Amino acid sequence: MEVFFQTLVGGLGFGAVYALVAMGFSIVYRTMGLVNFAHGQVVMIGAYAASTFYMTAHVPFFISIPVAMVVTGLIGLVIERVLRPLENKDFDLMLIGTIGFGMVLESLATIIWGATGHAVPSPVDTEPLDVFGIRIRTYSIVVLAVAALATVALVLFLQRTKRGAAMQAVAMDHEAATAVGIHVGRSNAVAFAIGAGLAALAGALVAPMLYVNPTLGGSLGIKGFAAAILGGFGNIPGAVVGGLAIGVLDSYAAGRFQAYSELVVFLVFTVIIMIKPTGLFGERTVNRA
Amino acid sequence: MRLRVGGFAVAAVAAWFLPYGLDLYGIHVIDIAIVFALLAVGLGLAMGVAGQINLAQVAFFGVSSYAVAILTTRAGFGFWTAAVLALLAATLVGVLVGIPALRMQSHYLGIVTLGLALAFTNWVTNSTVTGGADGISGIPVPPLFGIDLSSEYLYYYLELVVFGLALAFAGFVAHTGLGRRMRAMRDDSLAAGAVGAPVPILRMTAFVLASLYGGVAGVLYAGLIRYVAPETFSIANMFLLLAMVIIGGRQSILGCVVGAVALALLREALVDFSVYAQLGFGIVVVLMVVFAPTGLAGIPARLRRLVRRRRTSDHRATLRPFRPEPAGGPDRVGASLEISGISKQFRGLRALDDVSMSVAPGEIRGVVGPNGSGKTTLFNIVTGIYGVSSGSASVDGRVVTGRRPHQLSQLGLARTFQNLRLFGQMTVRDNVLVALDRSSMLAVWRYLLWPVGIWRAERDLRARADDLLERFGLTDFAEAAPTSLPYGIQRRLEIARAMATQPRLLLLDEPAAGLNGQEVGQLGEIVRAIRADGVTVVLIEHNMGLVMSLCDRVTVLASGGVIADGTPAEVAVRPEVIEAYLGDSMNTADIAAEVESEAVR
Amino acid sequence: MSGTVTDPTPTNPTPTPTDELVVSGLSVHYGGVRAVSSVSFTVGPGQCVGIIGANGAGKTSTLKALMGLVPRTAERIQFGDHDLTRVKARDVVRHGIGYVPEGRHVFPGLTVEKNLLLGAYVRAWKGETRSTLGEVFELFPVLGEMRHRLAGALSGGQQQMLAVGRALMSKPRLILLDEPSMGLSPKLIEDILAVLQRLSAAGHALLLVEQNAKLTFEATRTCLVMENGEVAMTGTSAELRDDPRVRQIYLGL
Repeated sequence: MEVFFQTLVGGLGFGAVYALVAMGFSIVYRTMGLVNFAHGQVVMIGAYAASTFYMTAHVPFFISIPVAMVVTGLIGLVIERVLRPLENKDFDLMLIGTIGFGMVLESLATIIWGATGHAVPSPVDTEPLDVFGIRIRTYSIVVLAVAALATVALVLFLQRTKRGAAMQAVAMDHEAATAVGIHVGRSNAVAFAIGAGLAALAGALVAPMLYVNPTLGGSLGIKGFAAAILGGFGNIPGAVVGGLAIGVLDSYAAGRFQAYSELVVFLVFTVIIMIKPTGLFGERTVNRA
Repeated sequence: MRLRVGGFAVAAVAAWFLPYGLDLYGIHVIDIAIVFALLAVGLGLAMGVAGQINLAQVAFFGVSSYAVAILTTRAGFGFWTAAVLALLAATLVGVLVGIPALRMQSHYLGIVTLGLALAFTNWVTNSTVTGGADGISGIPVPPLFGIDLSSEYLYYYLELVVFGLALAFAGFVAHTGLGRRMRAMRDDSLAAGAVGAPVPILRMTAFVLASLYGGVAGVLYAGLIRYVAPETFSIANMFLLLAMVIIGGRQSILGCVVGAVALALLREALVDFSVYAQLGFGIVVVLMVVFAPTGLAGIPARLRRLVRRRRTSDHRATLRPFRPEPAGGPDRVGASLEISGISKQFRGLRALDDVSMSVAPGEIRGVVGPNGSGKTTLFNIVTGIYGVSSGSASVDGRVVTGRRPHQLSQLGLARTFQNLRLFGQMTVRDNVLVALDRSSMLAVWRYLLWPVGIWRAERDLRARADDLLERFGLTDFAEAAPTSLPYGIQRRLEIARAMATQPRLLLLDEPAAGLNGQEVGQLGEIVRAIRADGVTVVLIEHNMGLVMSLCDRVTVLASGGVIADGTPAEVAVRPEVIEAYLGDSMNTADIAAEVESEAVR
Repeated sequence: MSGTVTDPTPTNPTPTPTDELVVSGLSVHYGGVRAVSSVSFTVGPGQCVGIIGANGAGKTSTLKALMGLVPRTAERIQFGDHDLTRVKARDVVRHGIGYVPEGRHVFPGLTVEKNLLLGAYVRAWKGETRSTLGEVFELFPVLGEMRHRLAGALSGGQQQMLAVGRALMSKPRLILLDEPSMGLSPKLIEDILAVLQRLSAAGHALLLVEQNAKLTFEATRTCLVMENGEVAMTGTSAELRDDPRVRQIYLGL
């Protein structure tokens, strides 16, 4: 039982990171109708930007995060601008275009930072907490707290603000949105920048938990995307639940199947998504003939 | 056509003499490029032709390579026995990876196939059977009538023969019935099902074809390199493969080959700068997607279209009048439709509530009612797109509820859609051909064993397609893309496509929507002629003039239930119909006049 | 080639005499294909003008061109004192022009209320906008009842009301309506006619594009008939209704 809870808690830290990545996927999808397959690579760039700045400039870790967000935000703007001609047209093409961007970002990272990668010291060096015999890393708590804050902020933004409503309107019908006076291009750019900002947050937070290297984006991106789909694509709370679920599943599989954890995670994911293709909170789209 | 055959002949001769001009390293590079080309053709069939996002192609490749390696080095099988088993293994994995495609499409399918590819890499890197990260070496040289295939020159000829056959087969599939059905499914899976294309089987076929090509490539690779290791089957290579297909042009088999060979050579040339090569591929993929979405293969067509538009803008194709079949030709009568007690719930929302109606053979029945009263839902149930919560529908006494759309099409059911659902990237003729093709999927064995039969059937279909287009006055538009045509012509094409399935019951969903008065008149004539041909017609329509003049009986639906049923004249004056649907000021006077004039006629 | 301006509707409350839409030489090209060629017409203050024509005649393109939603060329597009020839699509609404797109195009995943509020995107969402919201709910009580439902769950007729309501939220002086009767039952078409008459009585100028010629003739005083991207006929609705050619092609009589 204790092992079970230890695994559960151990998975939550990574789960929170997956949740942030999944939220990035979801916000861009919900506001632009775009699946950004380069999102994982943007997370990786965020991880590099934050950790490099943190280690070379010797500033507090939490100051390096906004710097990383600026970097990834700019990348997001570039991706959006280049793929803009495809928006609201061919879904599959856009998907492939973002895969192309992922390749570009990964090779750029290799060129800039080398293929070997680097380790990042934990910015929180207190001892793990001991709650009823279960050890909880303090850093995991920080990650969870940041992810929770980001979720609340994002949900409030989408539901309570005019800009948030307008961004969703653009994704649903860009022409009608234009006709009521919304600047579609700017709205999309903001959406992409928010997505990229979330990516930087995820990347920066995950840097001390993993070895930062150029292929980091691939695995984080795929698991984050799986999390987004598991929760119901485009649904923000769903992304959080999906992220935590993948994190826990990951941690359980790593404990039980060691090296085969990835195999197990994706098989389980495939089975779940086969049973419920719309995810846990996904809206059912009625196929209108 | 002659140009194309000549092109192939020149390419074949060039390929035959190519090794004479190459050193050992050069021929090695070419041998690898051919393996990639095979993979790309398989991916092109699945993604470009069938529209199934498949990011597991590299895993099919890997399964087959590893199967050859394991069976020859660990189990002591001979190379060719192992090769056959490896092909079977790859196809089996293809079927397994294809299963999710039955439930999901697009990006969902993308992530699932990518996840399964990752799972495969994860397994081969860690399992002892696969030799872990070190891989397996010592695969024997494939024996072939004493030819020494350890020479890469001679191996090239083996590859060339296999590749030539594989390419011809892919082209054959893509340009005949199977490929046409897959393209129809790619453009609109709902409409494809409605004209009789078995969508689930076609999706599986796409994955089986992709895995078959992956399997062949894997066998050739294992025999060529005689060593397998996980990094060959990495996700990076999957994306490289994707880049090949996109850059070459995913909808063209030859484009995929060109893209694969070009990128494989380029990768080899840049092997010392592999990171920069990767960067370059990424940039090229992005540029192609934005500026040339049809890839290198699509560029000639784009240029041609540009030139043609300039030149023949004044040439006008015309819609000819519909030509009814000489009366008394077929002495068949349409099917009857019996709907009894159908209810349908959508997440607690009751869309249909105990709806019953019966349509006699050869009748023209109108279904009218306010928006949201469940008319289209009823059509969707009868044509197998939705299931029922309770009740049943039967055509000529055979229960149709609970069957798949393509099965119902085989039973003689056809329909049109409220918002046109034509196959947008196929020509008008191909739209009709898909529907004319009544062959069972069980006959796909002929692709492997009796291609001549396929050719003959194809020629026959084309002749019938021309007849049908002629009859509907659409001959001038046979080669046009449907989306480029005026709305009224698209509407007529949809009816022609439905009639191509030779139905005995035709359901028309708002056929007059968006037509002007004159076109509505023509529509009326077409529907009458269709009935005279021995087809029962049920139509949903808001244009009361048409309904009143055309229909034998009218059923009125309101909030999910039948509120009236009778002849048009009876129904139009019923107070509950006026209350729920017709309204009282503007239209009833006109309708009464309409009914009167109809009676006089 | 140009419509008339006379409409002596006495019930106009506030329109200033300058609120007149003057369009001349308006053309639209889609990649080499000419959809609208050099169309000219005028919509006077508080006047209702209809455009009828077959599919592909250029009606919808004309409206979209006025909104700036498609690439266009024009000698003159003027509304009141403002030259709209170079105004971007997203800014047209700021000049007092509301747009009800073809096929309704509500925001399906947002609530009815959010849809309406987005109609007032260019205004502040407090104070006066709230009272406009009240007015729309008064005009369409059904929208008030369903204000927290998702727009996508509404029936076709309700969505059409919502699309009109959304356009009203920006307090427009001219409303462009694209096929509001499309796909609606005879009774709902009657409701739409009543709505158009109320809008007109409240002093809004309307430019109505319709496939349904019968409805158009009832809702408007002046009409244009478009064919192949050009204005083929203009006249009062009563005249056109009796024109034999119009009767044959557009009324199907």
